[in-house]
This record gives sequence, structure tokens and C-alpha cells, in this order.
Amino acid sequence: MESEQRYGKLRKMVLVCMILVPLIPFFLTVGIGYYYFTSALEKKTISSTSRIVDDHRHMIEFFLQERKADLEFILRSYDFDYLAQHENLLKVFERLQIKSNAFIDLGVFNQEGVHVAYQGPFKLSGRIYKNEDWFSAVMKKEVYISDIFLGFRRVPHFVIAMAKQEGSSRWVIRATIDTYVFNDLVKKVRIGTTGEAYLLNKEGIFQTERRSGGNILDEDRDFTKYVTQDSEIMTFMEKDYLGVDYFFATTWLKDKEWLLVVRQETRDAFRSLRQAGSLILLIALVGGGSITAMALFLTNRILQRMIKTDTEKDQLEEQLIRASRLAELGEMAAGFAHEINNPLQIIRSEHALVNMILLELTDKEKIDAPEEMAELHDSINQIGLQVQRCSEITHSILKFGRKTETTPADVDLREFIPGVVQMISSKASVNGVNIQLDIADDTPPVHGDSGQLQQVLINLLNNAMDAIYEKHGVRGGELMITSGHDGKNMVHISVKDNGCGIGNEDQKKIFSPFYTTKPIGKGTGLGLSVCYGIINAMGGSMEVASEKGIGTTFTVRLPVSTKG
Amino acid sequence: MQLMLVDDEERFLSTTSKLLTQNGFKVFTAGSGEDALEILKREDIPVVILDVKMPGMDGIATLREIKCRFPLIEIIMLTGHGTVESAVAGLKSGATDYLTKPVDIDVLIEKAKEAFEKKRRLEEKILIAQSIYERRKAAYMRSPKDGLKAI
Repeated sequence: MESEQRYGKLRKMVLVCMILVPLIPFFLTVGIGYYYFTSALEKKTISSTSRIVDDHRHMIEFFLQERKADLEFILRSYDFDYLAQHENLLKVFERLQIKSNAFIDLGVFNQEGVHVAYQGPFKLSGRIYKNEDWFSAVMKKEVYISDIFLGFRRVPHFVIAMAKQEGSSRWVIRATIDTYVFNDLVKKVRIGTTGEAYLLNKEGIFQTERRSGGNILDEDRDFTKYVTQDSEIMTFMEKDYLGVDYFFATTWLKDKEWLLVVRQETRDAFRSLRQAGSLILLIALVGGGSITAMALFLTNRILQRMIKTDTEKDQLEEQLIRASRLAELGEMAAGFAHEINNPLQIIRSEHALVNMILLELTDKEKIDAPEEMAELHDSINQIGLQVQRCSEITHSILKFGRKTETTPADVDLREFIPGVVQMISSKASVNGVNIQLDIADDTPPVHGDSGQLQQVLINLLNNAMDAIYEKHGVRGGELMITSGHDGKNMVHISVKDNGCGIGNEDQKKIFSPFYTTKPIGKGTGLGLSVCYGIINAMGGSMEVASEKGIGTTFTVRLPVSTKG
Repeated sequence: MQLMLVDDEERFLSTTSKLLTQNGFKVFTAGSGEDALEILKREDIPVVILDVKMPGMDGIATLREIKCRFPLIEIIMLTGHGTVESAVAGLKSGATDYLTKPVDIDVLIEKAKEAFEKKRRLEEKILIAQSIYERRKAAYMRSPKDGLKAI
């Protein structure tokens, strides 16, 4: 439970690190990239729109300036009396029209506002304009450019009027400018699909037509929202009365009387911005998602590996503890065995003494009780046998637990195994066991103490012959010894018999100390455990395969010698 | 045949000495290395059976001391280890043979007899060598010329 919590915590920590560490720079990169890209794009859009506004302002102002200059030229070139003559005015008007076809008509007014001469498509001579706004304005300021208005002719137009002082009286010359010419100039601006330009007067009345709706002299319903400042070009974003987002650029013209507006739907103006934005969002989502998925995957892998390592470590520690306990036990057992030998020695001596005395008594016929004496003899013999058995056990334990100086050297198994087999061959032939040797020529040498190795082999061979004897008696035993290179730098030596076999339960405990299936007095149960210890110390392993009643195969695996 | 048993187990000493006496030995016993050396000073004992593990002066030390003072004494080591190390150490220090505990009395007697035999042969050799030397010496004394020739 506790370790689960620990792993949970660890998992969280690793996961957070693995997600945040790549994700933070990733999003920073994407974010900064997005920011700079969009701001650059925005700036470009704004500056290009501003340039259009600026260009058009100049164009319009230049146009007005030119028309004003035209009139001024007339004003300075001719006097009132001359221009008051219709034919003279006609001549002048025709010249004016050659210069610019924007002029529709031309009229001359005296101080009282009487239209004394007129040249144009309408019959306006003789009308009195004394009370018109424009007239009083021009009389005062000398120059006047009107907004677009309907006037007497009920057609949208605007006028340029100029006054001249002649002696004590003032007279005025006035020209009407074709709105449509003027209108086209502004209206032809086209940016993207929705970009357009238009003029408003300071009351928000359209001075030119707006392509997306808005006729001349209509009122612009969004006028109050416009941000303006003298002749500076202002840019801003705003919703129009229909709720559509627009990007605006504005500037005042004509001494703050007309407002030039260029506007484009934001959606249109920043189309590429939006495309880039959605692309970046997609990348961020996919990137973030894959980083998270990767982090999850890796964290799980790391954690699994850690859990596995931890478990292995725990198991190893447990094994180590068990091994050290066993070693301690071995040393203790050796100590006990040694101490037991002393009392055993005394018992044996006493036994010999008793035996001797008893023999003497019998020989000299001092006691006449042959039956009892026989029984006593039997009992004494039994004591001798049991002492012998005890001493065998203590010697085995001492052999098992002792720390002897071994002299490891390379052992050539091709010579070594037949040598060992020779040692037991007489016993084998007595027991009618047929020994077969199959030593592969490529059997490599192993490194170890030849005495120990011999002990192991003899032990295995003796066990095999015991098993054979139990099953077959002294006829029909088969013993097969094989060895060869195992690949992966291991050598195997197998001892296979056709003896009585070992049951499954016994196979599990076969290498444990003091475990034996032999009848009491026949084995100490230490042989195989000693073998196991020896082979383990040499870096090898030992295994058993057996079937009850069919036979047993012991296989020893040892590392190939690397020395020499 | 005189021999001495050295062991710290009192009962082992008494019983074994009884057995050995029965078999015709004259047995001395010592409970420690020090005692053994004391007895050897007084008695002429040709064979000693010595336990390796004893409190105080241990078997190997006693063995070395005996060999140092009485080089001709044959010593049989008695080891409880059942291992070869102490036996090898003993043999290297001049022991004649070794036995592992618990030892059968018959084996003990056999080994002791072997030791006596070895000792006897050694003494014989010494006697022969001595007698040759004596004879030559006597000859030299009688007639230095012949004596020199003989030498």
C-alpha cells in the first residue's frame, strides 16, 4: 500500500516533468512566433491602409486645391464687369472645362447676392443668394468650399466660391463641381474584397457613395464611433451598426470639414492572420497532444521498469539474507560438529574398553550367561555402529562448512572425466553397470579446483549407481556421461542413469542440506548440497530431470575458462 | 613400549590409557602441553599422541616445542577437525602421522606401532653409524696410520 502511494507520487512527478519540460518551450515558441507574426502582419495591414488613406487625402486635397487655384486664377485675371457679361463668362467657362471636366457651371454674384451671370446647364441667372449660408460664408472668408448638398437643383453637388474686393464692393465667383467625378475618385479605392473608401462631412453625412451601402447625403449611422484627430491618420477596429467587425483608417480633410474613411472587414483584412492562427493552433494542439501522450507512455515504461528493478532488488536482498543465514548456519554446524567429535572420541574409547572387558569376561568364562552376553555384545556393537554413523555425519558437516584453500586451475574435461570414471569403474563392473562416455571433442576447459570437481562427479556417479542398484540389482544398469560446449560460454556435463528415478516432491528438495531419501544410516543428505555449493561457487548451475522408475539426469553447467 | 597421550579430556586419557595398557603399552598421560613437556623431561618416551585442539598451549605449539627439545620423539597428531589443514600443519612441523577423531582404538594402536617401528629403525641407524664411528675412532687410536686409511 505504502509503496503504491510512493509509486503514485513518483509517477505524478515524472509525468509533470516530462509534460512541462518540453511543453513550456514548445508553447513559448509557438506563442512568440504567433505574436510576432500576427503583429507584423497587423502592422503591414495597418500601414498599407494608412498609405491608401494618405494617398487619397493628398489626391482629394490636390483636386480641391487645383479647382480652387483655377477659380483664383479667373478671379485674379478678370474683373467683375468683364465676367458679368455672359459671352465673356462663357469663354472663361469653356477654358475652365478644358482644364477640368469636373466643372459643371460657373456663376458671378454681386455684393447683394444676385446671380448676375451664370454659365451652365441650369437657369439660375437672376436668383438672389444673399441669404444662403455659403454666400455669407464666402463674403466673410473669401474662399468657401461647400459640403455636398442638393440646393435649388435637387441634385447632389458641391460648390467652390471665392470673393474678391474691388474698390468698396465685393463680388463672388462660384463654380459647381460634378459630384460624380469626385465620387468616382474616392469610390474606386478597393482593398481585398471588402475594402472601401468614402467621405463624410463633419455631421456624418456621406459626401461620396459607399460601395457597401450608403448613398450620398445619407447619414452614416456609425459616425459617432469613429476615432479622429485633426489631420492625423487614425486606425482602429469597430463594429458597424450591423455588428460586422471593421478595420478603419480615418483622416480629416479640408480643415476638418470632411472625413476620409477607409474601412475593410476585419475578417477580410486579417484573413491570412486568421489562417496562420488556426494553423498554429492546430500545430499546438497536435504537438501538445503528442507530447502528453509520449510523456504518459514513457512514464509508464519508466515506472514499470522501476517497479521491476525494485522487486528484483528486494528479492536479491532476501536471497542475500537467506544466503548469509545459511553461511552462518554452516559455520555454526561446523563448530558443533567439531565439538561433538570430542565426546564421540570418548564414547568410542569407552566402547572399545567395554568391548575389551566383555571379551575378557567371555574368554575367561567368568560369567556363565551366554544368552545375555550375546545380547550385550549385540548392544555394544550397535553403540559402535552408531558412533561410527555420528562421526560420518560430523565429518560431512565439517567438509560442507569448511573454508579450504582451493587451487583453481584450468581443467580439461576431455581428460578429466574419463579419469574420474576410471575411479569408479571397478564398482560399476561389480554392479553390472554399463558406462558410456560421450565427451564431445569441442568440450572446452573449465576453471576450478580439480579436487572439488572430482568430488562432485564422484558424488553424482555414486548416486546414479545407487539408484541403478535399487532398480536393477546387479544387472542391466546403464550410465551415460556426456559433455559438450553449450554455446554462450557454458559447458555442460550430464550424468544420466536408468535407475529408480526421483519423485517430483523429492526433486524440489534434492539440493537442500540433510535431505536424503536413502535409508537411515546410508546417507547424510549432504552430498548433493555440497556439490551444489561447489558448482555455485564456480559460477555454474546444477539441475535435475527425473522420472520415477525410468531414470535421472543430473546436468552440471559451468562457465568456460577465460584464463588462457 | 612407552607412549604418552596428551589431551585435555580427562576421561579420554584414562580410558584410552587403560585400553593401551591392555595392549601392552606403558602409558603416560598429560592434560596439557606444559604437563607433557614436564613428563618428557623426566621419562624416556619415544612416542607421543597429541591432540591438536587444547586450551592453553595448543597441539601444534606443543609439537614444535617437543620437536625442538627432543627431535627423535615420534608424534602422532589427533585432530578433531576432520579436515586436512591442521594435519598438514602438524606434518609440516615434524609430526609422524595424524588421526581424525573419533578414532578407533585399533587404528590408534596400529599407528602407534608404526611409530615405534619407525623410531626403532631410526635408532638402529644411529647405532650403526655410531658403532662405525667408534670402531674407526678406536682403530685411529690404536694406529693412527691404519685409522686414517680406514677413515
